[in-house]
Amino acid sequence: MTIPQLDATVRQRVFERMLLMRRLEEGVFELADRGAMVGHFHVYIGQEATGAAVLDAAGPDELLLTTHRNHGHLVGRGAEPRRLLAEFLGREGGLNRGRGGTLHATDRALGFLQTSAIVGGIVPLAIGAAYTLKNQNKAAAVIAFFGDGALEEGYVFEAFNIAALWKLPIVFVCENNSVGAVGQQGGGYNTSVSASTQFTAIPKVFGIETRVFLDGNDVDGIRHAASEALQRARQGLGPTFIETVTTRWPGSQPLWPELATGVTNLAVALGGARAEGEHADWIAHQDPVLRVARELLDQGVSAATLDALDAAIRQRISEAIDFALHSPDPQPATAADYLFAQGQ
Amino acid sequence: MPSSPFPPSPLTADALSAIYRQMVLIRRFEEQVQRFARSGLTAGLVHLCSGQEATAVGVCHLMRPDDYLASSHRGHGHSLAKGMRPDRLMAEILGKADGYCGGRGGSMHVSDPALGHLGTNGIVGGGIPLAAGAALAARQAGTRQLAVCFFGDGALNQGITFEVMNMAALWKLPVVFVCENNGYGEYTALEDVTAGSRLAARGEVFDIDTREVDGMNVLDVLRTVEQAFARARSGGGPSLLIAHTYRYSGHHVNDQQDYKAADDIEQWQQKDPIQQFKRHLLEQGLASAATLDALEQAVAQDIQAAADFAKAAADPSPESLSTHVYAE
Amino acid sequence: MQRMTFADAIIDGLCHALRSDDSVSLIGSALLGLGPHRRKVDRIKQQFPGRLLDGPTSEAALAGLGAGAAMAGGRPFVDLGTASFALLAMPQIVNEAAVAHSMSGGQITAPVVYHMLHGVRGGGGAQHSTSPQALFWNSPGLQIVLPASPRDAKGLIRHAFKTNSPTVILNHAKLMPIEEDVPTGDFDIPFGQADIKRAGRDITIVATSHLVQLALEAARTLSGSGIEVEVLDLRTLCPLDEDALLASVSRTGRLLVVDECPLRCGPASEIAATVAERAWSSLKQAPQRLTRADAPIPCSAVLEAALTPDAEKIVQRVMQMMR
Repeated sequence: MTIPQLDATVRQRVFERMLLMRRLEEGVFELADRGAMVGHFHVYIGQEATGAAVLDAAGPDELLLTTHRNHGHLVGRGAEPRRLLAEFLGREGGLNRGRGGTLHATDRALGFLQTSAIVGGIVPLAIGAAYTLKNQNKAAAVIAFFGDGALEEGYVFEAFNIAALWKLPIVFVCENNSVGAVGQQGGGYNTSVSASTQFTAIPKVFGIETRVFLDGNDVDGIRHAASEALQRARQGLGPTFIETVTTRWPGSQPLWPELATGVTNLAVALGGARAEGEHADWIAHQDPVLRVARELLDQGVSAATLDALDAAIRQRISEAIDFALHSPDPQPATAADYLFAQGQ
Repeated sequence: MPSSPFPPSPLTADALSAIYRQMVLIRRFEEQVQRFARSGLTAGLVHLCSGQEATAVGVCHLMRPDDYLASSHRGHGHSLAKGMRPDRLMAEILGKADGYCGGRGGSMHVSDPALGHLGTNGIVGGGIPLAAGAALAARQAGTRQLAVCFFGDGALNQGITFEVMNMAALWKLPVVFVCENNGYGEYTALEDVTAGSRLAARGEVFDIDTREVDGMNVLDVLRTVEQAFARARSGGGPSLLIAHTYRYSGHHVNDQQDYKAADDIEQWQQKDPIQQFKRHLLEQGLASAATLDALEQAVAQDIQAAADFAKAAADPSPESLSTHVYAE
Repeated sequence: MQRMTFADAIIDGLCHALRSDDSVSLIGSALLGLGPHRRKVDRIKQQFPGRLLDGPTSEAALAGLGAGAAMAGGRPFVDLGTASFALLAMPQIVNEAAVAHSMSGGQITAPVVYHMLHGVRGGGGAQHSTSPQALFWNSPGLQIVLPASPRDAKGLIRHAFKTNSPTVILNHAKLMPIEEDVPTGDFDIPFGQADIKRAGRDITIVATSHLVQLALEAARTLSGSGIEVEVLDLRTLCPLDEDALLASVSRTGRLLVVDECPLRCGPASEIAATVAERAWSSLKQAPQRLTRADAPIPCSAVLEAALTPDAEKIVQRVMQMMR
């Protein structure tokens, strides 16, 4: 079965999300260099294809949940970069008014629910949201983003069982980023702490429909699968599990993330520059942003168009950084605000 | 199923008698527990395993005294099969000081380290991590001990079961997981709460050797478990056995069982593990009717003695309250 | 008004909630425990088909499902069974539901209602006798409700579906058969309002749940000896009606807190500390706590009784305090 290729318009839309995700994360590193980031953080660099493709297929009524690696999902869905960065700095102008930070940033108005940093924590919550959508007879689905580590947590299995049993309208998106290049080539992918060599075997135990993309940068395939899965869910046919595998981004290697591959240079894809440095290979062959840029060129989109897109995005991020740095700290007296919800 | 690389060891006449006697002992023990429960003498709830004797005995028969056992809330059969004395076990069920745990554990929390018995357990799936831990300790100590854990079909939906099976497979722990699938989790049928078309998939997903076995046929259980034990002791890692069996009684002794079809119990009684095995022994000339009768009578006496012992035993004294809260 | 058991009142409250709000649903039909009362849940199955689902033995996932369903606009009531089993659900209750509103800066609400049966029910042993309310109270963000009478059960349960924060309702198996007159219509009792179940001038006994009934029993006995006990039922640990607490103690000058959580770090300790801090000058003597012992509950009935508060022990302690 051949997957239909995305036309240039859709691909460009996906690309725009990806580039926004990438430039936002580079902005995060800039803020980290300035000592403004609060606490440990996790970036989405190298995984943009999955998020952008899935989010492009999502409808406005969909509900979403994500994890500590949420920046890409939030900005890809439309969260304002300025409010995201302010949140990461713990400032009053942030989406969570500085209370969530990089680990728990969320945007309820865009359909995001809890952002949890407990591995696997969002999976039971996500099936609950799907349970509500089903009870409300809404033709919408839940998208749950999580990583491969979640498949080691017991209540994720419990949740799969229930989602299948009750045919809940949910799309599980498992972003497997733990594979080193060697593991992926060898075909025996997955992490070292699961006895299961094929993660899709886990949801299959419960009869859940699965799709796996060993090429996690395949935006055509992923977008198609996401679209199908959302349709299935909205039609009451139950859950789908989509796994995408990306080669681990070199910057995630150390305990504290580093911009190891440098600021992304579109010219490497558009012409006029070569991949350089210690991680030239990743840049040349694994970088999803550069790959999709090349795909767009192949579809006849001009380099100038893409450069212009990039310039606009970089401007937005620059303003967002400014906004974040100038956003005030929350008032200490409000530290325990929002403990309980108002209204009875 | 693929043919076994481990030919079943022949069972001696003594072994066959012992197996028969053990199953009858469990059946009669449970009947006595039920009588005590109906007269209000048991401490707390009791969960009877009548009908499931073949899994308890079939699995435990080949265990060594120093192998570990972790059991479930339905664990009297496992406990007796592992070597617990009926009198002290009965006393524990009645909450008496002479019970295995000084009356503190009762039916659902009875244990004996001397027998490698880590305990019956009131939490569904509660014994599973304990068994894996014991297996890990044995592996690290370099002994060839193994651990067995019994659990029901309800535990197949507990997250911790998956977590432990994953680790057991990764670390090749010498543990044998035995799922006694009696079709019900409390009052709920298996199919109402368990998604997926094959239970075995839950073990296979971690590359754990998984077998389904007729839990009403003690020889089937024995043969299957023998392979699993050989695998564990030789460093081959864990196994999962799914034994299809049935409990005649309710979830606990007061359960009226209105969730079971009217002829459910009758149908399963036709596969009664004790009757099946008895027929097999007699038809194959492996034991005489007289021998079996004598065994049955001896068991009846043992159970009576156990009941008398338990009833006459003293309650624990309130002065001993704070004993054993912390270890010396 | 209608004479109802505690068990009936729970069901009645749930029925009113189900009737008035389509977003209410129930997960778990074992909420009335194992006794004869358990059949009363059938009324919900008959009157509201499809609104009560039974899940697998997966406490963590079901607790999380409840929280997530609430975040998405539902109002689920998730029964976790015996309170000991709720400990399997702690990650989802404490790390997710309790913190959702505050860590999202007010964006997310998670009005999920958790239900469980706590305490020493008789023969439960170490794993079926837990009272986890202290653990929940020490996890900010959860409302904690402990009804002590049929009327309160109906009203408090009903109110849980009107608040916007996660709620943990802890009932007790020994309360199920208690009867009293309960209004038949739809009514609710706000959280944070303690109730003087019995007025008295000599000493305040503060309690929740089944312990309120024990305190009332003790009060009847003590009255015969001329000691008039005031029994203050907190109804909810969080929000806590500190005003009622301090007002009562300022009238009587004596405080005994009775609770079924183990002593250390339990609710009794918190109440005693609050009163000592804020009503010191009203006190004629140090506040006292009468709680379950700091030990796992043994199976033996004799040992279990020795570790657990009862009316007789309350009477003895009050008489000591009044000497």
